[in-house]
Amino acid sequence: MQPADLERALAPKLGAGLIGVEPFEGMAGRVRFHREAALDLFRTVREDLGFAHLSMVGGIDWVTHREVFYVVWSDDANQYLVLSTDLPAEDAHVESASGVWPSANWHERETWEMVDVTFDHHPDLRHLLVPDGYVFHPLLRSFKLHEPEELEVKSRHV
Amino acid sequence: MAGRAAVPFVEIEALRVKEFIPAAKEALTALIAEQGQARLIRPVFNWAGRNSLFPLHWGLACCAIEFAAGFGARWDAERFGVVPRSSPRQCDLMIVNGTVTWKVAHKLITLYEQMPEPKWVIAMGNCATGGGPFRTAYSVVPGVDKLVPVDVYIAGCPPRPEAMLDGILRLEQLIRERKE
Repeated sequence: MQPADLERALAPKLGAGLIGVEPFEGMAGRVRFHREAALDLFRTVREDLGFAHLSMVGGIDWVTHREVFYVVWSDDANQYLVLSTDLPAEDAHVESASGVWPSANWHERETWEMVDVTFDHHPDLRHLLVPDGYVFHPLLRSFKLHEPEELEVKSRHV
Repeated sequence: MAGRAAVPFVEIEALRVKEFIPAAKEALTALIAEQGQARLIRPVFNWAGRNSLFPLHWGLACCAIEFAAGFGARWDAERFGVVPRSSPRQCDLMIVNGTVTWKVAHKLITLYEQMPEPKWVIAMGNCATGGGPFRTAYSVVPGVDKLVPVDVYIAGCPPRPEAMLDGILRLEQLIRERKE
């Protein structure tokens, strides 16, 4: 599957929600989309294009904005595909993919606690790797290493 | 053993196996005659307890590999009466072998509270002692002594199984010196 094929398949369904499909080393391509079209894109990619397995969800803090990306796998095409969207840092939220790929659940919980991106309509948005009540988002660029005692007091856990 | 003075109770441990049983019998008989049954129980419990420390069989990080090796054929911690048990209800020793995160902290406390008294804790390795290389990390407890009272600290990253055995023997010494 080539980026041009993907663009031809996705453009009619998404319209203005699709920014474009770029070539991506070793994968079918990298689909860039606006967050409003997220759910349509997930459904199309899973049901029409056959990318049935969600391999991972991750987030990156680019300081000016935040990026959330999804890596999906198709057994038929024998290929990975990257879906990626840019979110404004001050209002970072995107529709949850866990209704389409249930395995997104824990990945989105991790992304939420690490880079502070909220996933709308997520069934269970709790902390995954850090304890409940933890107030920091450790993978943000603005996160500074704290003295352990300071972390302990500020987070008020245990 | 007839005709010889009774071996003092505290020295029984040092005897060879052949001499052990008659000497223990004689010493216990002498102690009962001298002090009565009630005062006998504590030293006997102390002696039995320190020679059969049962650590909780759990692993947190890479120190658990050394912990496991310590119970293998080469080091064989079982010759000191140390047998890992899988239930905290059967344990009197918790060896914290690895990095403790805040996420696992309350599980550790629960396990500790499930262990019957008297109980002891060994902090094995640099992470359990003071957070180790992850001390300033966002999720690591800087030393397990923030959560539970620790009796013996073992340095090393990770400590060799010999160091773990040394820690256990030092804990035995500590229990022996308790004034009870």
